[in-house]
Formats: sequence, structure tokens, C-alpha cells
Amino acid sequence: MRPSVYAVILLLLIPLQASLLAPLSRIALAPDLGMAVLYVIGLLTTPVEAAFAGIAIGLLQDVGSASLLGLSGLTLGIVGLLTGLLGQRVLDIKSPSNVVFLALFSLAGSLLMVMFLDLIYGGFPMLGPFFVRMVPRAATTTLAGYLILRFATRRSVLPLIRRRELQKER
Amino acid sequence: MPGFIEKNRTYLVVLAVFLFLFWLLTLQVKAGRFTVLERPVLAVSGFFERIVTGTYNGAASIVQGYAFLVRTERENRRLRDEVGRLRLENQMTAEILEENERLRTAIGFRKLNPPQSVLAQVIARESSPASVTCTLNKGASSGLERDLPVITPEGIVGRVQTALPGTAKVMLLTDPGSIIAVRVQRNREEGLLEGKLDRCALKYVSYYMDVQEGDVLVSSGLDGIYPKGLPVAIVTKVRKHEASSFQTVFAEPVAKLSRLEEVLVFRK
Repeated sequence: MRPSVYAVILLLLIPLQASLLAPLSRIALAPDLGMAVLYVIGLLTTPVEAAFAGIAIGLLQDVGSASLLGLSGLTLGIVGLLTGLLGQRVLDIKSPSNVVFLALFSLAGSLLMVMFLDLIYGGFPMLGPFFVRMVPRAATTTLAGYLILRFATRRSVLPLIRRRELQKER
Repeated sequence: MPGFIEKNRTYLVVLAVFLFLFWLLTLQVKAGRFTVLERPVLAVSGFFERIVTGTYNGAASIVQGYAFLVRTERENRRLRDEVGRLRLENQMTAEILEENERLRTAIGFRKLNPPQSVLAQVIARESSPASVTCTLNKGASSGLERDLPVITPEGIVGRVQTALPGTAKVMLLTDPGSIIAVRVQRNREEGLLEGKLDRCALKYVSYYMDVQEGDVLVSSGLDGIYPKGLPVAIVTKVRKHEASSFQTVFAEPVAKLSRLEEVLVFRK
């Protein structure tokens, strides 16, 4: 991705997530925009670039919230690396069937985060939040990721956001 | 071996960064949360959040204003009735307060000074799945500072985590980093209430402590942050383990944290 695209993502991600999607968080349906954007970055770039993008997005989320610095950074970094590896292996990145992986990554990311929190603070319940919070969030994140991917892979948009080297590679 | 390192150099760099982040996490467990770059990030995100929320609220108020116009008269009548009832209740409460003050003076207790408060609007909610925070439209210029208690008429909401001139970040009581000293209203037993993302849990509750489902937990004031006697949460689940000397107690916050719109911040 071009550096300017990353700048826009990092600048607007938190305000959009925290204010525009806030009404959805009342009913635990707010998508994780960071995860959705990261999924698209992973499919369109390399695993290493996606991992660093995940770390940057996660660290920004950590700084902008009350969470421990590095918690989302580490989780999203791992997810970024995995989506990057997925992007290298799928034949058609635009295929809607790929979003199944986003749902899985979203669930895995949430579980990983709760596992970290359990490790740090102890006594974190898994089963209740899994169905009440994580599954609805994974569903809406999947939808958001799919819509962002559809937009990002349009003929008129893709050349604007992708770096030239990557366009030649693919 | 050098060939392997050369071939996978970029992946090894990523692995090193992951290990560094993990080390950073373990450091914070001991030393507390690092607040590097918190203020500039809050300043930038707060600016955009104000714009987005302002636009959204403006558009929503136009739609709502039209849609609810038809119900206004009925609502008006109901509110007039409620104001009358509340005035009566207020007079009675004032009587009781006065009597309470007289009795406190009579038995030599110090005078109760109700804390000054600032009304603030919630303009944004959490940005990370690992924490539960919200952003207010008032900040240090309105007298807000770190660790001031944030409440609603229902009960405690959380505390101010960071305050900038025009905005403040609030750590809600369900955030994993939140701990409140509480007391069971029924029998005055004490405990520490910790955030667990979507609910709270009482920490280190001994096996023999008398806690029941439905018990109301109020702030004890022992943490030095929250005023004494404010409702915090209601116990929803109590589990006793034969093998453990502690029991697991979960509680739901009294304040509706998912529907916060306006809050009061108590000033020192």
C-alpha cells in the first residue's frame, strides 16, 4: 500500500470506530474496523507488510484506549501476518469465499486477546463473551471487511492505493 | 544457518517485534500501563470524533425532531406529571437531608459537602476490543483531571483516564484495568470490583463471605477515587468451588454503560 493510504487509515481509524460506529456498539454489533482494514491490507500486500500494518493499527488502538500498550499491537500483528500469508496463497483475492477466513481471524483475534487478558489479570470468562460479544463482532467485521475489499479492488481504486512494485509483482 | 537467516530475515524481524511487544506487555503487568503518546493520539482522535459526532447528532436531531413531533404533546403531559412528582420527592428529600445534617451535627460528625460536578456528553466509545472506554466533550478546561469519578443518576460509570483541554478519555468500570473498592449494601462486606470487559467480578472473595445473587454493591470510598455509598453493580452470579478458598462472584454494572449519553464528573 502507498504510505499516504496508511496515513489516512491511521488518522481516521480511531475516530470512525469510536464515533460513527458507536451506536452499533450498544448492541455489540460494532465491527472491528482495524481488523477489517487489516484483512484487506493482508490480501493486497505481503505478509511482512501486513504484520507491520497490524502492529501499527493495534498500537494505535492501544494508545487510544485504556488497554495495555502492545496488547492489540501483538494480536493484530499476528493476524496481519496470517492474512498476508493467506493473500499469497489464494488464487482470487476478490472471491467472497475468502471472507470466511476474516470471520475466523476475527474470532481468533478476540480469543487471543481474552487469553492475553486472562494471562495478565486472571479470571476472564471465555464462553459467555464468545457468543455475546465475539461472534456478533466477527459477523459484522466480516461484512465490513468484504465491503472494504470490494471497494479497494475496484479498477479505479486499486492503482491508487497499491504501491507500484506490488502492482508489477501481481 | 546463515543461509536460513538471510532467507527469512524479514520474518525474523517480525518475530523480534512480536517478542518485543510481549516483553512490553509483561513489563506493564508489573509497572502499570505505559501512557506514551496517549495525549497526542487523544488530541487528534478527539478532534475528528467531535466533527463526526457533531455531524451525526445534527443529522439525527433533524430526523428525530420531525419523527417525534407527533408525540410531543403526550410526552409533554407525561413530563409535567413527572416534574410535579419529582418536585414533591425533592422537597421530601431536602427535609430528610436537613434532618440528617442536624443529626450529624448533634453527634459530632463532620458536615457533608456534596461534590461539585460537571455535566459532559459522551462523543465516542471504545476503539479497542481489549478495553472499555469512552470520550467526553469536556476536558481539563472544565476542571476535569485524571482519576475523577464519572457517574450517571443510576450509579458509577468509571473514572477519567486522560484529560486534555477540550476532551477527556474515561475508563469505564468494565475495563480490565478498572478496580473499585466496594461494599455489599446488605451486610457491609468489602471487596474489590474488577472489570471483565462485558461485566465485573469481585476479586479475592473468601469462601465464607456472605454474597448472594441480587446483592447491590456500593462504593466504599476506600480507593480514594470514588465517593462513598454510590451504587456500582448488582451481583448476578455466585459460584463456590469446594477445592478453592475463594468464590467467584460476577456483577453487572448498575449504570447502562452501553447507552451512555450524558454523564456527571465529580470534581475535587
